[in-house]
Amino acid sequence: MNARNGGLLLLAVALVVGSVWLGSRREGAEFTGSDGQAMAAVTTIQPDYQPWFGFIWEPPPEIASGLFALQAALGAGILGYYLGFKRGQAQGRRKHSDAGD
Amino acid sequence: MHIAEGFLPPLHAAAWTAAALPFVIVSAWRVNRLMRDQPQTKLLLAAAGAFAFVISALKLPSVTGSCSHATGTGLGAILFGPAVMALLGTIVLVFQALLLAHGGITTLGANVFSMAIVGPWIAYGVLRGAQGLNAPLAVSVFLAAMLGDLATYTMTAGQLALAFPDPASGIAGSFVKFLSVFAPTQLPLAVVEGLLTVVIVNFLREYSGDELQILKFPSPTVAVEARS
Repeated sequence: MNARNGGLLLLAVALVVGSVWLGSRREGAEFTGSDGQAMAAVTTIQPDYQPWFGFIWEPPPEIASGLFALQAALGAGILGYYLGFKRGQAQGRRKHSDAGD
Repeated sequence: MHIAEGFLPPLHAAAWTAAALPFVIVSAWRVNRLMRDQPQTKLLLAAAGAFAFVISALKLPSVTGSCSHATGTGLGAILFGPAVMALLGTIVLVFQALLLAHGGITTLGANVFSMAIVGPWIAYGVLRGAQGLNAPLAVSVFLAAMLGDLATYTMTAGQLALAFPDPASGIAGSFVKFLSVFAPTQLPLAVVEGLLTVVIVNFLREYSGDELQILKFPSPTVAVEARS
């Protein structure tokens, strides 16, 4: 499983890195978000559309990057805890059964 | 797939909220029952939610020279059944709407509908279909997560098209326009999401056999119905 998963992860990383490489060769590539581009497309279809409700709170850019990092860290932290816990549990079981032989 | 705050007319915003609400209520009830009946799977449920949390925070670059993010809701949908993901996806979207100015409260219903309802159901359906055709599990999981991701963005394009039909070519023309914004950027990212989901499922099959057995993964029963 380890070799196979390693290969899959490498492939995922290669896809992302390849995307940056290919993407940045394109004219005017600024890696803006596709969500933002879609909202811009709204205003090309209906130039007079005004968002009728604003954000309740919009974090300043520096704080926003911190909160994005916090979101990723919380997710990765819990996921990593689970994966480590299960691996340790399996190893403990194996050791236990070895000792019992 | 985040429709920004105020970017759906009030009537549309209200309609999508009304459409999403029953799914979220049923989802909360399901999660509650899962906690009570199969408490051994609590930690795995947290891990599936965490996967969606981390993966939807990462804005990844794409070949088109734009950025987008995966959704991460396919994993939980194939493990726990799609109904459970409505609540987990809503938690992610509320966090992003309130703290990150990403998405919005008025568009929460629409965003929940695409990311936490349509994506998971498509992922679950694809897994069942692929397993029915005797595809290898890794291939089924890959396709489920990838197509669930793409379905979410297709749904968003549809929601925007309904709200903003093109003056000349109507809803269909508008749908094509929005889809052409999302789809080319999303395709490689959906592949990445598919690969990562397979990695996690491989791990689970090695180390979490007991939980998968309780959830009857990947045999074709809805996990929560499996108790008796």
